[in-house]
Amino acid sequence: MTIYEELLEHDLNPFMLFDGDGKIKNFNKEAEFLLNFVSPKELFNLAVSYASQTFGFRREFISLSYDKQTFYAILVGYVSDDEIVLRLYKEVSGTKMLKIDTNLKETNIFTLIELSKSTTLLGSNILIEEIYDVSIPLLKLNVNEFLLSLNNIFEQIKDAKNITLRVYLKTGEYEVINKKKYKIIAIEFVSKDKIEFYPLKVEAGKNDLLHVTSNKNSIKLELPLIV
Amino acid sequence: MTKFIAASSISQQILKSAKLSADLPINTLIYGQTGVGKKLLAKEILPNALTINGKDLEKLIIAKQIDLATHSEIVIVNVGSVINVEEFFSHLKNIKLVGINLDKNDRFNQYFAIKIEIPSLEERVEDLQELIEIYKQEAMGIYNINLSLKNINLDLSGNGVTLKQSIYKSILLQSITTDDILQTMEMYLTKKLKDGKTYRDLLEIFEVPLLKAAKKVYKSQLQMADKLEINRITLRKKIHQYFGEL
Repeated sequence: MTIYEELLEHDLNPFMLFDGDGKIKNFNKEAEFLLNFVSPKELFNLAVSYASQTFGFRREFISLSYDKQTFYAILVGYVSDDEIVLRLYKEVSGTKMLKIDTNLKETNIFTLIELSKSTTLLGSNILIEEIYDVSIPLLKLNVNEFLLSLNNIFEQIKDAKNITLRVYLKTGEYEVINKKKYKIIAIEFVSKDKIEFYPLKVEAGKNDLLHVTSNKNSIKLELPLIV
Repeated sequence: MTKFIAASSISQQILKSAKLSADLPINTLIYGQTGVGKKLLAKEILPNALTINGKDLEKLIIAKQIDLATHSEIVIVNVGSVINVEEFFSHLKNIKLVGINLDKNDRFNQYFAIKIEIPSLEERVEDLQELIEIYKQEAMGIYNINLSLKNINLDLSGNGVTLKQSIYKSILLQSITTDDILQTMEMYLTKKLKDGKTYRDLLEIFEVPLLKAAKKVYKSQLQMADKLEINRITLRKKIHQYFGEL
C-alpha cells in the first residue's frame, strides 16, 4: 500500500470506489462499518445523483444519517465511466464524551421488557414473536429512562398485527465509555408492514447511553452492556 | 375490600405487572375510572407506604411540614391535582412513588416509568361476578337475609363504589321489617314536626308510596279504589294531588 492508500484506509471518513454498474471496487475501514447499515446500491445512487455533469470532483454540503452516524457533506469523484468515488464527511461536532451516570441499577433486561410490554400493550391483539438471547446477563442501566424509551416504542407498534422482537448482543460492535469498551445490546422490533415511527419524546430519549434508530418497518433500541 | 380482585385474565396481567414493578426502583402510575381498584393495586406495590392526596402533599412540601427523608415510599392519590409538577417531583427524587389518577397525563408522564391502566368493571366480567358475590355475601350477612341476584339492582356507573352501594341498598331495602319502617318514620316525622310541618303536609309520606304500590299491583283506578276500600272520587283527588310524584 502506498502512503496515500494507507491514509484512505485509516481515514475517519468512509470512502468507496464504484464501477459503472455500482459494484464496489474498493473501500476503507469506515466504509466497511457503514455498509452494515446502508446498502451499496443506496450509496451508489447517492454518488450518481451528486456526481458532476462532466468528469471531475464535486463537493456538496448535505445532511445524511445512517443508523447512529450522521454526515454533513459528501465528495463525489467522477474520473471515468468505470471509476466513481464517494467520500462521506462524518459529523463529529455533536459527539459528546459519554459518561456512566450514577442512577444505574443492576437488573434483568427481560423483566423490564416484559413489564413494559404487558403494561403498554394491555388489551392489544398484537402477536409478538420473541427471539431472545437469554445468555445476556444482569446489566446496569437507568431503569427509569430505559422503560420510558421502551414504552414509547411499544406505543408505536401498538396497532401493528405481527411484530418480531429480537434481543441480542451485537457482534463486533462496541460502545466506548471512559476509554472502556462495552458490548452492545440491541432490542429490535421488526414488522412485516410499514410503520410510521416518530422520534422518541424528549424525556424518553435524553439518555446518552440509549440509541434509537428506525427505518420503514423496524425500530431498534441499543444500549451498552454494563455489568 | 382489602385485595385487588384478579379473576379476569386482564386483571391477572395487571397484578403481575404491579408485582414486577414492586421489585424495581421505578415509579408507577395507576389510572382508570373511579372504583376500578386503583388504591388496592397501589397497596399491592407499596403495602406499607404513606398514602396521601397530591394536593395535600404539595402543600405540606411547600410549608415544609413533612420530613421526606423519613419516607422511602409514598402513594400519591390524585396526582393530577398537583399544581407545580416539576417542583413537586424534584422533592421526591429518592422516593419510590405510586401515583393514582383518573387518566394518564402528559404533565407528569415522565415521572412514572410504568403506567398501568385498570379497565372498568364492565370490561372485566369475571372480576365483576366475583365482586358481586363478595358484596352480596357481606350485605346478606349483615342484614341476615337471603336474596337471589335478580332482586338486586346493580349500579355500575361508578364501578366498585356504586356496585357496593347498590347491592347494600337493595338488600337493606328488602330486609326491612314493619318495626324498622315505623321506627324510621317516627324519627323522620319527629324532625319534620319540629320544622313546623302539619298533619296534612306529612300525609304524603304515607300516601305517595301507598298509591305507587297500588298502581303497580292493580290494573285500574276502579280496582284500586275497591281494594283500598276508599271512595273513587277521593282516590281521583289524591292521584290528582300527587300528580308528578306517582
